[in-house]
Amino acid sequence: MTAPPVPSATRAPITPALADTLGQIVGRSRVIARSSELLAYSSDGLPGYTKIPSLAVFPGTRAEVVAVVRALAEAKVPFVPRGAGTGLSGGALADGVVLLGLNRLKRIISVDTVNQLAVVEPGVVNTVLTRNVAQYGLHYAPDPSSQAACTIGGNVAENAGGPHCLKYGVTLNHIAAITAVLPDGSITALGNASGETTGYDLVGAFVGSEGCFGVALDVTVRLQRNPQAVRTLLADFTSINAAARSVSAIIARGILPAALEMMDAPTIQAVEASIYAAGYPVDAAAVLLIELDGFEAGLNEDVAAVVAMCTEAGARQVRVARDDAERARLWQGRKKAFGAMGRVARHLVVQDAVVPRTKIPAVLDLIHSISERYRVKVCNVFHAGDGNLHPNIGYNAEDPDESARVHSAMREIMEACIAAGGSITGEHGVGLDKLPYMDQLFTPDTLGAMCALRDVFDPDRRANPGKVVPVHSCREWHAAPAARRAVTT
Amino acid sequence: MARCARGAAGGDDVTPIVERIREAAAERRPLRVTSAGTWLSAGHPVDAGDTLSLADHAGIVEYVPGDLTLTARAGTTLSEITAATGANDQWLPLDPWGGDDGTLGATLATATAGPHAHSMGLPRDVVLGVEFVTGTAQVVRAGGRVVKNVAGFDLTRLITGSWGTLGVIVEATVRLRARPQQTRTLVIPAQTTRADLSALAMQLRALPFTPLASELVNARLAAHLELGAHACLLVRVGGNAHSVSAQLDRLRELGVPTDASETVWNTLRTAERGAVASWRWSNLPSEFGETWTAADVATRPLEGGGGAFIHGNPARGVVRVAVMQPKATPAKLAQAASDFHGTIAIEQLPPAAWSLLPPSSRRSGLSRAIREKFDPAGVLNPGIMEHEMGALA
Repeated sequence: MTAPPVPSATRAPITPALADTLGQIVGRSRVIARSSELLAYSSDGLPGYTKIPSLAVFPGTRAEVVAVVRALAEAKVPFVPRGAGTGLSGGALADGVVLLGLNRLKRIISVDTVNQLAVVEPGVVNTVLTRNVAQYGLHYAPDPSSQAACTIGGNVAENAGGPHCLKYGVTLNHIAAITAVLPDGSITALGNASGETTGYDLVGAFVGSEGCFGVALDVTVRLQRNPQAVRTLLADFTSINAAARSVSAIIARGILPAALEMMDAPTIQAVEASIYAAGYPVDAAAVLLIELDGFEAGLNEDVAAVVAMCTEAGARQVRVARDDAERARLWQGRKKAFGAMGRVARHLVVQDAVVPRTKIPAVLDLIHSISERYRVKVCNVFHAGDGNLHPNIGYNAEDPDESARVHSAMREIMEACIAAGGSITGEHGVGLDKLPYMDQLFTPDTLGAMCALRDVFDPDRRANPGKVVPVHSCREWHAAPAARRAVTT
Repeated sequence: MARCARGAAGGDDVTPIVERIREAAAERRPLRVTSAGTWLSAGHPVDAGDTLSLADHAGIVEYVPGDLTLTARAGTTLSEITAATGANDQWLPLDPWGGDDGTLGATLATATAGPHAHSMGLPRDVVLGVEFVTGTAQVVRAGGRVVKNVAGFDLTRLITGSWGTLGVIVEATVRLRARPQQTRTLVIPAQTTRADLSALAMQLRALPFTPLASELVNARLAAHLELGAHACLLVRVGGNAHSVSAQLDRLRELGVPTDASETVWNTLRTAERGAVASWRWSNLPSEFGETWTAADVATRPLEGGGGAFIHGNPARGVVRVAVMQPKATPAKLAQAASDFHGTIAIEQLPPAAWSLLPPSSRRSGLSRAIREKFDPAGVLNPGIMEHEMGALA
């Protein structure tokens, strides 16, 4: 799969003079121009794509970020903002353009424990924020599996999710305000700390814009009070269908678990064979990892209700973790499942799609038949509570035949999710990888509207060029509606 | 293409709406977009000679109880959705002030949040996808019908709360909730000094559970709700029997409570019918006492014979004021608001009063440019968003 071409009208070549200018801003050692060193930035968390930036620049302060963006604007040079590079859609790949690394901006600027807000720089690592506010009984709720490495700026760009988003919401729901430098170098404040804004929801537009709307200089995030009590359950099933039925029953009952995760047999076996072994039953067809949290009073009743629903749906056993150590172990298996799969194969495609929750059993059946047809091994580990599937395929990306089969299988899986009324991504973003599906998911006018919005933030389309919306979709917006009507009628 | 397949048969053809907008844009004849015509759309000034009503573009398109999602046309009233979802012990957690006569489209277009917003989220958190027609007569289907979705730029959030100025919402998909097994509502007496109220806001935020709703009402509103002659806090909790009883125990630490009927919430939401002016003051929750006092002080000289209803959610930091018969000019309001370091959003005023307000100074260049892209002819509700005041320091 290759990325579509990027419009070149506004592109300018990257000159030694530009490298000098950037070096004067950030210091020469923070500008990387040697191709051997640039190789380190040629991929993100998604295998199978290699794109080499022409230059990488790493500002260390807010003022340096602004100066760099302005210098790039002046030179009309495209750039790709990048946090920790853990993204799974190829969104942080820079193909012959400037890579703007933001991971040095890691100051937690302020914490307001009373109003449960923190202002952070974009390079602050997700778990570092939580560790720093733990002393106040607070945490930052969105918890992508890469949370030990990924940054808040990257989370904002991707509108990142995670297991606990079922109850607590995705990144969007936890961002109150953003100060951003737009690609033209102007600085703009979006939203406000109190969360009650008037006017257009520009924070909502910016979150999830995948680096195409500008660069966050600081982000005001909401912090969540730690729950008074937590219960973690592991339910063990001999059929995927029974596990999926339990998910539906729990959701419909009105009990909103903090997390409701499913792992299938190949995933369980990969985890149990690894150093992350969590004590999952290796002969199970699926397990559900269910977490209930909140007010202590009444929590055991909810646990009993969930156990009863799982049992009724056919669970062999439902185990409630007895202590924090057992809880942590059960979660480690889930969080490190992708790592565990690394033992099985050299490369791993971590896919991301969403289906209506009632369609989970049917779509998992389809995924199974697709994987058999293409002779690939799919491991499913996903956020069942919100229908967010992660069918993962381990393979050797250097084997062209196997790579082709993996890509064909993934395409059919995506098409099956779209046909089920779903979406092509729930939390990883479109990036490069999902571009080919955008035309299937959205009408030309919808894609045109997305391009129109991007053009407000970045009329030159220099920020993360060629990502999110296929370039051909951006040419037709507002193009002679009368003429088009004549064609269609 | 599965995405574009239509739901229920008949009635969902948007062609007449598209054609109306196309003609309006070609002739530069602005449209006032309305639906049920409750205050949500009726209160604001629009410089338009023609009306585009969505009231007949109504009906539930798809409701899958197992998915807890519902898709309905814009003109569907909230009461119709309440009835349909209630049959499955589910509900749409959007409860705008004014009651359930308003429509789904208007609730999303105005991003109006009611007493359950603190626990259930704002309209932006509840909406999953929106179909809308832009000022260039293009039909955009943003978002989707699933509960988690990051495909493409977020036009769903953009259109929510844009008051019809970027596009006319014709259909929306929303997230539903299962009804709690039990709910109870308590009334707790409250002191309304600045310090007491800020302390109350912090006590509410420090609770080890999130009440379904918590709303402080002033004495005038308490009397209307038949809750006595003094300001009080209404709190609603939900969950299983054990949880509800423990939550009630915990709330007793805030004051000596009395039970209230669950219907009080609906009475509260509809209390302001007949009010001719309403506005919303907001700031950080820690400043709630300040915000309440500022709103109260600013309102006093405006109150006519009917007095004013003031209520607010301490945990969200929002205070709302509804005046029955304002006797002073809005210039007074603007003056009263000038010292306030938060945000003031004006919801409704007597028609003649709008023009006396200073135009918003907060409209950013980005917002103007977005409007220019989505409605270049300026035919959708022109003027409707011009009067927010104040800015958070």
